[in-house]
Amino acid sequence: MIPTPFPDRPRFDARDMVLGRTRYAADRRLAGMLHAMTVPARIAKGTVTSLGAEAALRVPGVVRVLTPDDFPEPPPSAEDGPPPPPPTLTSTVSFRGEPIALVIAESLEAAIEGAEAMRPVYAEEPFQALMDGLEADREEAEPYVAGDAAAVMARAAVTVSETYESPTQHHNPIELMATVAEFRDGRLSVHECSQSVGLAKYAVFAALRIDPAVVDVRSPHVGGSFGQKGLAQRQTALIAQAALLTGRPVKLVMPRGQIFHVAAYRPRSRHRVELGATGEGSMIAARYDAIQEQSRQGFFPAAEYHEAPIRLYGIENYLGTGADIRLDRQAPGWMRAPHAQASCFAFESAVDELAWKLGQDPLAFRLANDAARDPRTGRPLSSRFMRECLEEGARRFGWKERVAQPGSMTAEDGTLIGWGVACGAYPSSMPPAIARLRVGADGRTRFAVSGHEMGQGIRTAIASVLIEELSIDPVGLEIVIADTTSVPQHMTAGSWGTAGCVPATMKAVERMRSAVAELVGGQRIAGNLHRQLAMVRRPSVEVEVSELAPGQKPEALEELKAGGIVAMGPEYPAFTSMSYGAHFVEVRVEPRTRRVRVPRVVSIADCGRVISPRTAASQVYGGVIWGIGASLRERTEVDPRFGGYLNSDIADYVVAVNADIEEIDVGLIDRPDLIANRAGLKGLGQVTMAGVSAAVANAVFHATGKRLRSLPMRIEDLL
Amino acid sequence: MRPFSFHRPATPDEAIALFEAIGEGARFVAGGTTLFDLMKLDIERPRHLIDVGAIRGLDGIDADGDTLRIGALATMAAVAAHPAVLRDFPVLSESLARAASPQLRNMASVGGNLLQRTRCPYFRNGVGGAYPCNKREPGSGCAAVEGLDRGQAVLGTSAACNAVSPGDWPVALVAMDALVELRGPLGQRLLPVEEFYRLPGDTPHEEFTLRPGEMIAAVVVPKVAAGRASTYHKIRDRESFSFALASAAVALDMEGGRVRRARIALGGVATKPWRAREAERLLAGMNLDVETALDAGRAAFADARPGRHNAFKPELGARVVADALLIAVERSRA
Repeated sequence: MIPTPFPDRPRFDARDMVLGRTRYAADRRLAGMLHAMTVPARIAKGTVTSLGAEAALRVPGVVRVLTPDDFPEPPPSAEDGPPPPPPTLTSTVSFRGEPIALVIAESLEAAIEGAEAMRPVYAEEPFQALMDGLEADREEAEPYVAGDAAAVMARAAVTVSETYESPTQHHNPIELMATVAEFRDGRLSVHECSQSVGLAKYAVFAALRIDPAVVDVRSPHVGGSFGQKGLAQRQTALIAQAALLTGRPVKLVMPRGQIFHVAAYRPRSRHRVELGATGEGSMIAARYDAIQEQSRQGFFPAAEYHEAPIRLYGIENYLGTGADIRLDRQAPGWMRAPHAQASCFAFESAVDELAWKLGQDPLAFRLANDAARDPRTGRPLSSRFMRECLEEGARRFGWKERVAQPGSMTAEDGTLIGWGVACGAYPSSMPPAIARLRVGADGRTRFAVSGHEMGQGIRTAIASVLIEELSIDPVGLEIVIADTTSVPQHMTAGSWGTAGCVPATMKAVERMRSAVAELVGGQRIAGNLHRQLAMVRRPSVEVEVSELAPGQKPEALEELKAGGIVAMGPEYPAFTSMSYGAHFVEVRVEPRTRRVRVPRVVSIADCGRVISPRTAASQVYGGVIWGIGASLRERTEVDPRFGGYLNSDIADYVVAVNADIEEIDVGLIDRPDLIANRAGLKGLGQVTMAGVSAAVANAVFHATGKRLRSLPMRIEDLL
Repeated sequence: MRPFSFHRPATPDEAIALFEAIGEGARFVAGGTTLFDLMKLDIERPRHLIDVGAIRGLDGIDADGDTLRIGALATMAAVAAHPAVLRDFPVLSESLARAASPQLRNMASVGGNLLQRTRCPYFRNGVGGAYPCNKREPGSGCAAVEGLDRGQAVLGTSAACNAVSPGDWPVALVAMDALVELRGPLGQRLLPVEEFYRLPGDTPHEEFTLRPGEMIAAVVVPKVAAGRASTYHKIRDRESFSFALASAAVALDMEGGRVRRARIALGGVATKPWRAREAERLLAGMNLDVETALDAGRAAFADARPGRHNAFKPELGARVVADALLIAVERSRA
């Protein structure tokens, strides 16, 4: 039976947000609170021989300067535990901007002045900040293999082989990274903007050797995060230790310039893609090598550039290699559509080049190369509606009016018009969950589950299920997430946020319904659950459920309780589960200055069943907008003579603004995937961006005849 | 943060007297959109701030005489939206409306705007001595000359500095032969805006010809018919809230379909607001079409000396000039 679509529903916390009632970590002001400021290293590699804190300590209001000596030795790294916590303060500098001291003061102004008064002395060492010239120093990743790409490539009638590049890019949410810690009554309480309160708690424990049983971490609202605040953040343990050592609450809001140098970012990557097809246009082989800039200790996996491309089409022979080039930089990490932003740009550009070489329409070519199963594992796909995304997008966009020859569509003033299409895919993953639901006779409902609200609308998705499927009073509904004092909290990332809470919510709803039905017996009581409980004189009913990913072993629940990352996917024991999308982009290129504008985009996504139509559509808008920014605007500049990032503020790091964005038409296929999970949903957040850059590049080619293979595509590339 | 004293005089004379009395370390501040930003970056370190924002009568816009006279404290937003400015000098209105963001335009004064300092990333982000910069630390060298210079100037550069003069408004004023009215301890003087700016040479930290204690009282723009056939065309890395990669302020005096006199100034490409007189001469008496417009644009960049990553700027700049000329000639027919 196909479940009925969920109706459109306003954002659960919209009213609070527009009234300014939502409280973020940095909004916390506690009695007696101190302010902290990190001191960043001004060298790219070397040793701090002396901190020079004397002048800082003389600044009125400065209470203390924490140094590396104020922290325990870093813990030994475990092979198969959670990722190692970030280091704390260091006197061995591995990258420019690394925190070497923490100034704690009575006011923010004094903390800043103190930090500026520090006069550290360094012993500098030579360093490498960019991979140029070091491409041979490969640290190989596990290859992704299907069939025999080399042998079949040799038989291909038509091939393309090109190199594409995606630049260093940085997260720039409005909210700066913020932590407030307080040690009180024997408990350490941390408030922080985080996608993983569980990992933050673990990091405090591992870095400071504090019994995790007395550490509480909460992150009720995050002002935007798409991977930046996923892993444990460097400042968490610093501020926790500051609170412990001073005995007072301490707050740090890290300045944006420092965030650029400390937080996770999208590493620069280079992609050599070779595709082979039969003369009729059937893609039969792909050889694809991706290298990326990596830190000395970083573990953002180069192998995963292949997760999406190997499953975009039914290419039976695929050899995907990857490698890290280790540099003196901070660790790169997950940033919206991690891997897929770069790899779908490269792969879907190459697919377009191949279609052009074959003389085929790029839409028809993609439709003709559909996949029936996962080429990597040979296993079936839980669902795949990429064809439907392409067909619906083409219909809305008016693709059939396209004239194939580049440069043939122009406006009256000579403006060149280009239409491009590209697809995206992203693993649909799922973590286990434990959820607790209590319905009271007093009209209240309290639901606790694992999840973090970064603005994507996770509370709205949970509320959608509870309000739609349980007869309760929405006004009395409280949703508790991102709180280590409630149920175990898994990291919310990787597009598995909804899968990590909504199936468990549905299970809890079923359990609650039968629990109340049992209490009520055969009586017919009019009214909602609260009224039914009142009639049978039960103050409340509570149920607890747990949910596993398909084929997941029950031990995963124990790992979840211990703070691990135990999401499965896209490869499950019996199938592979991917989300898909198709983007259609129109660009207009001015005849003389060659300025590129994007007047309209049609973007259609297959995320299985849509739980919250409004916030799901918002995810797609956001992914497309970021995709346009990543295609035409964003690039972090590294001067190899100095290391660090030259344009480390949002004036010089150019994200897309409203004036850059015009019409975006969003569609969701909304076909439940009941193999993937009981809710029939698949992930959405990342796939919305995957492929947008290729669609823009393909449209630029169609407009100008010029193929741009390096992001961002800038005005000088088309002059 | 460094401690500073804060003063709010009520009249220009009081402000100038205060400046003289305080002496070293004193700075005037109006909207604060540049100065406070640079203080937070620890680039500007005034010890005494004299806030001229409370002075009455310095924000008037007088369009009735032979000149357009704009008080230094008028906000960018007010001038951009003023009916006489919109009608008689679209180039001025557009240069302001395409700068910064609405919030900044509501705060920033058109007098203070003339003093905006460069956006060179090595200048702004080099706090703590990360990057050598002759503007910030005279004699320390220039990281940009051999560095990531995509945004740097191609005109008016020196071995010591290639930082772009960032403004839009000063470029439009230079095109219109505007004057800046200065008041100081020695009295009042009028100076062409073009002469208000210095080339970097060996002393890039000396950016303005302002004397100690002088404050900007007004901007005076001669009224000319060409003002109506004018435009400020700005190309940047995004469509709003961004500095120019290349911009052109253009005004045309036309006679029977031919150019009698063209005025062209360039932004985003030079170390000071740049008047392109060679290009202007080339256009005199010409019939303006795409070809002649591009020729003029290329003439404007004949002396350009690009660096490593900004070789595109002369060609882009030439095309921006051409598009600006074509917009202006359209307006001359209206």
